[in-house]
Amino acid sequence: MTALKNELQGKVAGSVRAGAEVSPAETTNFGHLFHSTPRLVLEPRGADDVTAAIGFARAKGLTLATRGAGHSQSHVGISDGGILLSMVSMGRVLRVDPDALTVDVEAGITWGDLLRHLEPLGLAPPVLTNNLNVTVGGTLSIAGIGVASFRHGTQGDQVVEIDVATGSGDLVTCGPEREPDLFWSVIAGLGQVGIVTRARLRLRRVKPMTRTYYLLYDDVRRFMEDARQAMDSNRWDHLESWASPSPQGTKPVNGRRQVFARWFYPFHPTVEFDPQSPPDDRALLDGLRPSEQLYVDDLPTYEFFARLTPVFDLWKRGGTWEHVHAWTESVMPWETTPDLLDAILPDLPPSILVGGHILLWPAKGTTSRSRLFMRPAGEDLMGFGVLPAIPPQFWADAKPMVDVVSRLSIAMGGKRYLSGFVEFTDAEWREHFGPMWEPFVQAKRRWDPDGILNPGFVPLDARRAVAQPTA
Amino acid sequence: MRDRIPFGDPSWCAALQSEINASSEYRNAAAKWGVGFNGNLLFGFEADASLPAPLHLLLGLAEGRCTRAEFVPGSKHPEAGFTLRAPFALWREILERRTLAATAILTGKMKVEGDKLTLLKHAGASRALIHCVASVPTEFPPAR
Repeated sequence: MTALKNELQGKVAGSVRAGAEVSPAETTNFGHLFHSTPRLVLEPRGADDVTAAIGFARAKGLTLATRGAGHSQSHVGISDGGILLSMVSMGRVLRVDPDALTVDVEAGITWGDLLRHLEPLGLAPPVLTNNLNVTVGGTLSIAGIGVASFRHGTQGDQVVEIDVATGSGDLVTCGPEREPDLFWSVIAGLGQVGIVTRARLRLRRVKPMTRTYYLLYDDVRRFMEDARQAMDSNRWDHLESWASPSPQGTKPVNGRRQVFARWFYPFHPTVEFDPQSPPDDRALLDGLRPSEQLYVDDLPTYEFFARLTPVFDLWKRGGTWEHVHAWTESVMPWETTPDLLDAILPDLPPSILVGGHILLWPAKGTTSRSRLFMRPAGEDLMGFGVLPAIPPQFWADAKPMVDVVSRLSIAMGGKRYLSGFVEFTDAEWREHFGPMWEPFVQAKRRWDPDGILNPGFVPLDARRAVAQPTA
Repeated sequence: MRDRIPFGDPSWCAALQSEINASSEYRNAAAKWGVGFNGNLLFGFEADASLPAPLHLLLGLAEGRCTRAEFVPGSKHPEAGFTLRAPFALWREILERRTLAATAILTGKMKVEGDKLTLLKHAGASRALIHCVASVPTEFPPAR
């Protein structure tokens, strides 16, 4: 082990760790479902270290996995006996171009750190994830969606160009028009063909303040009518919504009494504004028919971007951050979303949302050009996510229900968003990617010929087994 | 403790119908089942090591009530709106809560004839119905 470590250390500027130097946190991820110990952990200093590590892995017959903030839940961001690249060591802002409205960053920077850098300039990426403590490279490899995706698509759609260290050890600059096949195999490509080392991201100017209207609906179909109107009205900058339980008592489910809930649908449309010209509330809300308007919240825009940070902090303090996270997020056809909710919510015990929540994100399927971010056909789509924190001792009981939620969403025409817990068979992976499966396989063979990058999740390379949960 | 009733016996059907109609769980979960569509179910228990010959159970179901429960000949029935068919061993797994009915349907292990989407939309009704079936004290045929 020491010899191998020293050999790699001799080829890179960043630090290499092995054995007891590997942190327990680096052997799992936010899901706490998979546990694997890497042989070596490299904290790369730059792209040269990444290409050197790839060359080293190929020469030694080792696999190489990338880890950003470790917010994944499947066998992602961990390594079973290979090299783990801890990309957060590459977290610098390289250059901001306020005229071109772009920023160059290293891939290991978190969106939160990037925002802290951009705030004095009044700039921000068009799409931000709810959790800002995830890395640019990490979310680009999934697609990256947020409450502005209905306008701007995915974070991957806001990339001007990226530097990619391919599995064959080349460092290639690519973008939507330059080496597009590589580019679109990396965006939402699950780290299968290359490792992003630098990204040039599009920016927009933000207005200093946001106003959020806390609207509440007691009927999902009426909520969806209004969500569609809000998307089409071009009035709003951000749209966020949820399914929220109000516990009503207990009822028998499979003969055992469990708490059941009446479900409500909070809808939070948000508009950015200059303090000199505050929004016209009446004009903005015209046509919307919530059961209640609960609250109107004015926040500095950068605080709005971080609005969920206190919630996540509470989850951390409460201990649920360390629970099993088997999030099931799907992009649903608009038409079947109410049926899916009707099927799932009545028997969903609200207690599983302690330290979690249920997302409903209205979206436009046509705002994204990503080839590997799979979504149903159609203009109007709904992001649906059941995001529980499950105490480890309940995981065995909860897993069949998690599985049913995933399968139901797919049976009703949805496509899983792959950042959560995904346990597909080979056939289900093929079905997920549909016509993009073969191009994805070909891209893997072309740019990662030895199949060393990020094994254990999507079975593009038959030589590498898909991992099973160990929780 | 109620006496166990042989599976396949007409008295088992009567017991099941009583179980369903006494279940507030089913009545609530299935309040919209069979409203505007034919909610009658035909369960096909396919022969395997523990069931020498196939059995077909027809349930008349609408609005949270069971109006009919009987074993019928043949694998199809004109009054059935949906047919759920699986090897008997899988049914046993479901009734003994080792497998969720929804999982069996969604994985294709249980074959469905009829509008699968309607069945899935009413997943709670299916789940409550299965619980009623599982609640009947049953003497299953021994494995051969």
